[in-house]
Amino acid sequence: MIRNRTVLVVFRVVLGGLFIYAGVVKALEPLDFAQNIRNYRLVGQSLSFAAALVLPWLEILAGAFLAAGIWKRGAALVISALLAFFIVLTAVTMARGLDVDCGCFGPVERKAGWGVILEDLAMLYAGLALLLARRPRPWPGPASAPHSGPRG
Amino acid sequence: MSEAGRALRQAAALAGLSVLVAAALHVPLVGRFLRGEFRQSFFQAGEGQGIRMITLGEAEDLWRTGQAVLWDARAAEIYGRGHVPGARNAPAAGAKDALPAAVLETPRDRTCLVYCEGGGCLSSLALSRRLHDAGFRDVRVFAGGWEEWTAAGLPVEEDRDRAPEGAGGR
Repeated sequence: MIRNRTVLVVFRVVLGGLFIYAGVVKALEPLDFAQNIRNYRLVGQSLSFAAALVLPWLEILAGAFLAAGIWKRGAALVISALLAFFIVLTAVTMARGLDVDCGCFGPVERKAGWGVILEDLAMLYAGLALLLARRPRPWPGPASAPHSGPRG
Repeated sequence: MSEAGRALRQAAALAGLSVLVAAALHVPLVGRFLRGEFRQSFFQAGEGQGIRMITLGEAEDLWRTGQAVLWDARAAEIYGRGHVPGARNAPAAGAKDALPAAVLETPRDRTCLVYCEGGGCLSSLALSRRLHDAGFRDVRVFAGGWEEWTAAGLPVEEDRDRAPEGAGGR
């Protein structure tokens, strides 16, 4: 488990920023994203439409909260769960032999493949590190500090 | 409250907030969906002008009267096993880089009818967009596709046309 606070802050800002970006580009073109979801042939037209409206905002809000340090664990949980889902989805899509655009970053065309899985795994590592990071210990007051001064 | 419980509650709150924001911002889009738009495809009005979805009856009429050029968007080998009589093969997977010569040689004012396997297949939609991008302004997508055509007992044809080189995929 990563304990270095600087590393965790970097993870938070980078991962949060990536999710904000990924969410914004999808939210700008919800119908294109709906078609991306539909192309995976896992859900029907209605569910693709609903997911295309909600998922970008889940990414934006989770990313923003994570980057801002608000509800860090909840945001890290959402992002980690989404990444785990994306990894399974990409793997299943590859196994089914479907040649689809992953839809990861909106209009940027990328095929669902190993590159996407590796990227998602790297982000999942950061997400889990944030989710499982220990809460920093409160600063011990002078009375409880072991070496706060000479004792009589 | 435990750390895990708190994280779950926060995650649930974020999910709820996302639904609220999405619903509030996409009221017009949701309205269009509830009125029946986007049930077949997610074309934007304007982007897909000239592309429309048709039923089996209309597809059969176009075929019988010869008013449309028929394009089968499925892979070459599937096309070879059987297709709508007179339909040419233009696999959607191969159309991304270059449309087959047969498509490019077709006058742009002709009506195009495209189909794929049916049952929610998407290659006819992909091909219809490319035909539209190539300049065809009357492109009709027979969503029921091959499944509906054969289920209706309509005529079929085998190996009439060779597929273009490099054809593949569904």
